This record gives sequence, C-alpha cells and structure tokens, in this order.
Amino acid sequence: MATPTLVQDTDVEHAVGTIQRGRVVRKGRVLGVTTALALLAFALFVATMMVGSFPVTPWEVIASTFRLGSDPSVDFVVRDLRLPVATTALAVGLAMGVSGLVFQKLLANPLASPDFVGISSGAGLAAVGSIILLNVSAMFVSVAALGGALVAALLIYLLAWRDGITGYRFILIGIGVSELMVALTGYLIARADIFEAREAMTWLVGSVGNAGPTQLRILLVALAVLLPLTLVLNRHLDVLELGDDAAKALGANVERMRLVLLAVAVVLVALATAAAGPLPFVALIAGPIAVRLIGANGSGLVAAAFVGALIVLVADLVAQHVVPVELPTGVVTGAIGAPYLIWLLATVNREGRGG
Amino acid sequence: MTLAHARSTSPAPGSGVAAPSHRHGGGLAAGLVVLVGVLAVVAFVSVTLGTRDVGLATIWKAFTDFDPDNTSETVIRELRVPRTLVGLVAGMSLGLAGAILQGVTRNPLADPGIMGINTGASAFIVVSIMVLGVQGLGTYIWFGFLGAAVAIFVVYGVASFGREGATPVKLALAGAAVTAGFYSVTTGVVMTNVDALNELRFWQVGSIAGRYWPVFTQTAPFMAVGVAVALFSGRALNGLSLGDDMAVALGQRIRLTRSIMFVSVAVLAGAATAACGPIVFIGLVVPHVARALCGPDYRWVMVYTALLSPIILLSADIIGRVSAGDGELQVGVVLGVLGAPAFIALVRRRDLAEL
Amino acid sequence: MTHELRAEDLSLGYGPQDVVSHLDVEIPDGKITVIVGANACGKSTLLRGLARLLAPRTGSVILDGKRVQDLRSVEVARVLGLLPQTPVAPDGITVADLVGRGRYPHQSWFRRWSAEDDAAVAAAMESTGTAELADRPLSALSGGQRQRVWVAMALAQDTDLVLLDEPTTYLDINHQVELLDLLTDLNRRHAKTIVLVLHDLNLACRYADHIIAMKAGAIIREGAPIDVIDAAVVTEVFGLPCEVLPDPVSRTPMIVPRGRHHVPVPESV
Ligand SMILES: Nc1ncnc2c1ncn2[C@@H]1O[C@H](COP(=O)(O)OP(=O)(O)OP(=O)(O)O)[C@@H](O)[C@H]1O
Ligand SMILES: [Mg+2]
Repeated sequence: MATPTLVQDTDVEHAVGTIQRGRVVRKGRVLGVTTALALLAFALFVATMMVGSFPVTPWEVIASTFRLGSDPSVDFVVRDLRLPVATTALAVGLAMGVSGLVFQKLLANPLASPDFVGISSGAGLAAVGSIILLNVSAMFVSVAALGGALVAALLIYLLAWRDGITGYRFILIGIGVSELMVALTGYLIARADIFEAREAMTWLVGSVGNAGPTQLRILLVALAVLLPLTLVLNRHLDVLELGDDAAKALGANVERMRLVLLAVAVVLVALATAAAGPLPFVALIAGPIAVRLIGANGSGLVAAAFVGALIVLVADLVAQHVVPVELPTGVVTGAIGAPYLIWLLATVNREGRGG
Repeated sequence: MTLAHARSTSPAPGSGVAAPSHRHGGGLAAGLVVLVGVLAVVAFVSVTLGTRDVGLATIWKAFTDFDPDNTSETVIRELRVPRTLVGLVAGMSLGLAGAILQGVTRNPLADPGIMGINTGASAFIVVSIMVLGVQGLGTYIWFGFLGAAVAIFVVYGVASFGREGATPVKLALAGAAVTAGFYSVTTGVVMTNVDALNELRFWQVGSIAGRYWPVFTQTAPFMAVGVAVALFSGRALNGLSLGDDMAVALGQRIRLTRSIMFVSVAVLAGAATAACGPIVFIGLVVPHVARALCGPDYRWVMVYTALLSPIILLSADIIGRVSAGDGELQVGVVLGVLGAPAFIALVRRRDLAEL
Repeated sequence: MTHELRAEDLSLGYGPQDVVSHLDVEIPDGKITVIVGANACGKSTLLRGLARLLAPRTGSVILDGKRVQDLRSVEVARVLGLLPQTPVAPDGITVADLVGRGRYPHQSWFRRWSAEDDAAVAAAMESTGTAELADRPLSALSGGQRQRVWVAMALAQDTDLVLLDEPTTYLDINHQVELLDLLTDLNRRHAKTIVLVLHDLNLACRYADHIIAMKAGAIIREGAPIDVIDAAVVTEVFGLPCEVLPDPVSRTPMIVPRGRHHVPVPESV
C-alpha cells in the first residue's frame, strides 16, 4: 500500500496524465458507439422506406427525401406515404429514448420509465375519453393526450411533494395515479360502443402510423429544442445522481434542477405519446441498453436517443412487413419487452442474486 | 452482578411479534365475531339489492320453496347468490394473496394487481382462449394459475436485480412493466377479432356481474385450498418479516417457505382472476386495515384479512350497482377509483416502514 | 485565506420536534474541529445545517459575514464542501468519474472540463491513495476503498472549508490514521478549515484542535481536547463510566471505558 501522506508533485503529474488519457479513451468510446448507433439508425430509417408493395432502392429513397428525385411515383410513395411514418418512428424513438434515461437517472432506478409512472396512462385516459365521449378528430385526440400526460405529471409531482421530491415517492405515487387512470379508461372502454372501443384500444397500443403531419412537426420542433437542452443540463443530472445531500453540498439547486429535468423529459415523452400513442417499453429499455454499450464512460443520453430510435424503427419494420398481418407498432415493442425482462433475469442469476 | 442488571441487556427474541396476540386475544376474537356479522349483513344486502326489488319473503322462498317459474326467485337463486358468493371467495383470495405478498417480500405496497400477477393470469387466459382455442372455465383456470406463476417469477426475479434486492419500488415497477407487456400482447392478439375484442374490454375491468353458479363451483375449490394455506401461514410470515438472514438464523427454511407462499399466491390470484378478471388494490389496502385493527402478528392479520376483503369487495360492488344511473360500475372500476387515493395516502405517510 | 463559519440561534429538525434548538456555535478558522456525541444526538443534523442542506427553523448560519441562505448555492460550494454520512453512488460509475463530479461548482454551462479540474481530481485521488483505482467501478471496491473515494470527491471540490461526516467509518485502523494525517496535512499546508464527526474519542482528541461534545442537540462542552475531555464529560455525553489517561504518543486525553464487567484493578497489584 502506497503511503499517501506526503504527496509528491511528480505523483500528481503522473496521475493527471493517467486521468487525461483515461478521459480521452472514454470519450473516444462514447463517440464511437454513438456514431455507430446514429449510422445504424439512419440506415434503418432508409430501409423502412425501401420495403413494401412498391420496392424502392436506397438511392431513390435518399434522393426523393431530399427532393432530388425525378420519378413522381417514387416521390409519391417515399415522400407522401413512407417518409411521414419513418420520421415519426425516428422522432418518437429519439424522444422516448432520452426521456426514459433522464427518468431513470433522476429517479435513481433502472426500471423507472415514463410508461409506468402514470404519464402514459394520463395520456391514455385523456385520449380514450376524447375518442369515446367527444368523438373528435385524430388531431384533437393528440392534443387531449398531450394535455392528459402533462396534467398527470403535474398531479404526480404535487402529490409526491413533501419537503421536496424523492424518486421513491414519485414512482410509487405515479403508479397509484396510473392505476386510477387505467380503471377509468377501462370503464370508458367498457361502456362505449364497439367501434369506438376498438379505436380506443388501438390508440392505447400505439402505432407510428397514427401521427398526422401537425403532430409530427410539433414533435420535431420540440426535439430540436429539447435534445440540446438535455445535453446542456446533463451536468446537473450527473450531480443529482449522487443524492440530494451530496448534490446540495456541491452547490446544485436540487429541487429546481429536478423540476426542470423532469419537465423536459415529461414534455418529450408526452409529445411522443401524443403522436404515436404509448408505445410500451421503448423508454424503459433504450437507456439501459445505451449504458451497457457505452459502459461507465459517459452519460449516454445521445446514445439512448439513438437506441430508442432503433427500437421503434425495427418495431415498425417488423409490425408492417415481417409478421403475416399488419400490427400496431406497440404490440411489437410490447413483445420486445419480454426478452428484455428475461435478459434482466438472466443477468441477475449470473450475479448470484434473485433467490 | 445482579440479575436485574443482566435483564436490561438480554435480548428478547421475537418479543414484538408474538406477544400482543396473547395479551389481546380476547379482544381480537371479539373483533372477528363483529366482522363475521358485518360480512353477513353486506352479503345479505348484495343479494337483496338490484334493479329488481325483491322482498325478504321472496328470498326466503327462493331457498326453502323454490318456484322456477317465478322470475324474482330465479334472479335471486341463479344470479345474485352466485354473484355474491363469487365476490366473497374472490375478495378473500385477493386480500390473502396481498397479505402473503406483503409478508414474503417485506413490501408494504405489494398487491397481486400492482405486481402484475392478475394481468399475467388474465393474459394467459385470453391467449389460451383466443390462440389455443381452450374452452370452459374448468380448463382455462389452469392457464390463469400458470400466468400468475409466470408473472410472480418474472416480477420477483427482475426486482431482485441490483444491489438492494427486491425493494418496494422495484417490485412495483417490475409489476407495471409486466402489466404493460401482457396488456399489449393481449390486445395485439385480439385486435383482429372484433368479437374477442368486445369480450376482452369487459373482462379487463374486473367485475362479478353475470357470474353464474358454474363460475363459483369451478373456482371456489381452488380458492378454498389457497385460503386454507394462507390462514395457516401466519407463523411462517412472522418469521420472514424479520428479514431473510434473521429468519434463517431462527431456523426457518426460507426457500421452501417462500416457494409455498408464491404457489399459493398464484392459486389465489389465478383463480380469482379467472372468476372476475383482473382486480387491483384489494390485496394492497385490506392487509393494512387488518394490521391497524389487530397489530402486526400475521396469524391474526390473515384471519382479519380473510374477513375484511370480501366485505370491501362486496361493498364496492354494491356501490357500483347503486351509483351509476343506467347500468352499473364494475367492481374493478370502483376499487380502482377508491383504492388509488388509499395507496397514495400510504405512500405519503412518512414512516412507511418495511414490513 | 481566512473564513468565518458560525451559527446563531440555530434550530434544525425534521418532524414536529427540533433536533437542534437555538444553538450558537463558531467553527475556529484554520483549525481542525471534531464533533463527538452519542448516536442520534444531532451531529449530522448540525453538519447538514452548517452546510445549508437543511433550512434553519430559527436563526441563521453565517459564512464570511453573510447569511448562507442569502448566498448562491454554487458560491457557497466553492468555499464550503461536505461529505454526507451516507452518500449514494449511481450504478456502474467509475472512481475517476465520481471524483470528477466534485468539480461541479467550478464549472458552468460555458466553462466545461478544464486542466485545472484534471489537476484537482488527480491531487485528490493521489492524496487519498485512490489513483490506482481510477478506472474501476465503484461497486467493485471494498467498503474502505469506497470511503476513500468519497473523501477524494470531497477534496476534489477544493474548498477552504471541508465538512466530513464520519469519514473514517469502514476504514481499518491504518487507513483511519492515514486519512486523519492527510486531513492534518491539508490543514497545516493549505490552511484548510476542517470539521469532522468522529466516533473514536481517542483519535478525536489526538487530531482535534477544537472539540465539540454534543448531547441531545445541545453543545455540552467545547474547546481544546486537553481542557475539555475528562471522565465526567465522557460520562455525561455517552453515559459511560471511564478513566481518562494521557495518550502515551500525543499526551492528549485517552479514554479507557470501564463497562459492567471490568472495574479498575487496584494500583498496588
Ligand atoms: N431525514 C430524517 N428524517 C427524520 N428524522 C431524522 C432524519 N435524519 C435524522 N433524523 C433524526 O434526527 C435525530 C438526529 O439525527 P442525526 O443524524 O443528526 O444523528 P447523529 O448524531 O448524526 O447520529 P449518528 O452518530 O448515528 O450518525 C435522530 O433522532 C434521527 O432519528
Ligand atoms: Mg450522523
């Protein structure tokens, strides 16, 4: 054991070198993984637009997307039919991926995710209510879903407030609120006529085909603003992770930063849900997968965004083209959740826990 | 050294757990008599109350001198009595399942609904009917058991992941995740079939309306076995409630005990769900009411829970029958709406301790 | 640089009752102050109050002439650091990353990681003997190694005032002494003011310039250990009969507990 009592300056210089080199290596890994994920997401984005009853080459897709194409039938298929869905998948995935990881870090729990802490069920109740009780257009259903998610988040925040917020209380109260919303949603669906009920249940499963052009545009603008904002705020997220006492001692304005970060995450997931419905599991699993890939080398927010996009794009591809009948995207992401949980179980057993 | 000195430091093993029951045994037994009385009254109201007004005389006659041509007597015998009996055994089962889960996982917020066990049972039942073409309650109840068991295994396994083991928050989150996964798979399976969708939406809210004699006779035997095991498990749960290490130190075989407990939860929750659909919150709230009445000794908690749960379920069913003008509110909805505030109040209590 | 840290009429608490009520205390500048007292007497509460983690119910904490509540939190964090008794580490975090998070108050949205940060982190890790652990995940360390990493994080914050709540918990006796020696170095060489909570009375007496003995949220005695700690005070604070002898190494008070099974052996034997 080295005696650290009298520290030599040479030792410190040596340590500085080690630390700097370590940081460069770690940054390289983060950058590499993130770039790979981004390229993969872009490839899938293009691929989802190639397949279908009217196959298109990748170059045609790219040309048409950037308005360089000349074939009107390709332009129609790509730009008018496939591009909106693919963009929705991409945008929803990005938003849910980031939002999920922010929730998990903020609430200090790898299983915390906006799907389960009442925010998606708030959106669901409002959407189902507007479908069944008000009989409104798809655009208004989205507005209602957005409102429902935000109101639910606010309600949970206020109910969880007690000399401040703890992750533990926020999650559990979110689950309680969620159960209430689910009960009411179930009641609405049970008393509706069968066609409205069917529409409502389809919405609740979620599909990237649901989004109209306006919803998509709003989501894209929000992403353009909120994704960079999340990265700027990441510094604060890093200290909030150390617990309230340590974060306060380091000078962080804990309650305000938590509120801001929660708000950003909630708005992202609320807009994504309003556009495509509550695609289950995307927000839950994107973060942990990104963290696995990056290791303890960085925060992984950007990587989580791309993993989220990858999951939704793959789910969309599977739902539209791989299974015999066309399914809503949410059924596929729901089915992806099962292997993830089993993988968690397997890791548990390898570590000798979980008896 | 005097004995008086030594006494002040000598440990009193298990003193806080078992002692009160001896002291207040008389009072606690009297409480049971009161509860049996209340249950009888509630059951009676449940049989009497409904859109068709029937007098005492008719009820009496329906049992002593049944006239199959008399509609009122038929309604009593063939509708209200089995409905009440189903509510009684299902309530008992769900309450006891909750009490067992709270004891085994040392989690004050455990509930077969919140932990996704009822949804697991319901998903397996729906899939067995839809995909495997299973017919008849007597057959698909087994899928209910299987689904409940799978849900317990996955939820408990996933929640045990990580350093602190299965904390209340992780159990609740894992339960929510499993619920979301089962929900989207179930909906995906029935999506293409309008008739099945129609049945699913009524099934999903949880209700005891329209449960005839076969429902009771085919599920009650299983629940009876589960209830018997539960009533005799008080001592084991007292041991487990001290923590795994302590329970082992006191000579308990915790793996065996826990397995038996989980199997009985699967039987109780699976059968109750097969009979009524997924119902939340009974198993969560009632054991707490029981503890408030009789203290922490699980031997008494189980008995009190067994009596209180059907009182609450039947009362909720009665409220649902009288509160909605046209038609009725399903008992699952009433419990969701009344149970959520109770759950939130529990979470907000500062001294929410592990059990 | 000299600093003033004191509390006036300070009351702190969690539930309906105050844990610390109407307390006046001054932390001597440039000295090592050790707070001792029985479990649950309010040591951590006082430390959290001094570090503005807990809002005062009455009175105030004064840092360099200004009320701490009126200062911006990051400004305080550049002068005053605190290591909580039970800090939480995010899953999977590495040692270097954790220590680096101590640099938060020195950064802002335009001033990101710098060479100065690297130097502070390296010095903190080197002096706590955690430099070799830099790339290891915290969860793969022993309790004592983890504790030293946390201390490194508090040191990386590079404040003139350092408050540490039981930094020697989990450490073996060698590392306890090493850590206290390190804190003494920091105190002597860099004139840092150090406040710590310790449960080992003998080490407390040896390393403290100023000792504060607390009981039930109040200060029973304070001053230089040699003047303050005697058998009567220890018995009053901890309810423990004991003998106090001079420490053969440092001549500071050394506490030898009696216990019910051990009574003093007569000198003549
Ligand atoms: N977060 C909290 N909420 C409620 N009460 C608390 C909280 N933290 C401490 N207390 C109570 O305040 C009192 C003082 O606690 P404190 O942590 O200051 O004790 P301490 O002197 O640091 O003890 P120890 O030597 O065990 O660390 C105790 O009675 C404790 O139960
Ligand atoms: Mg303390």
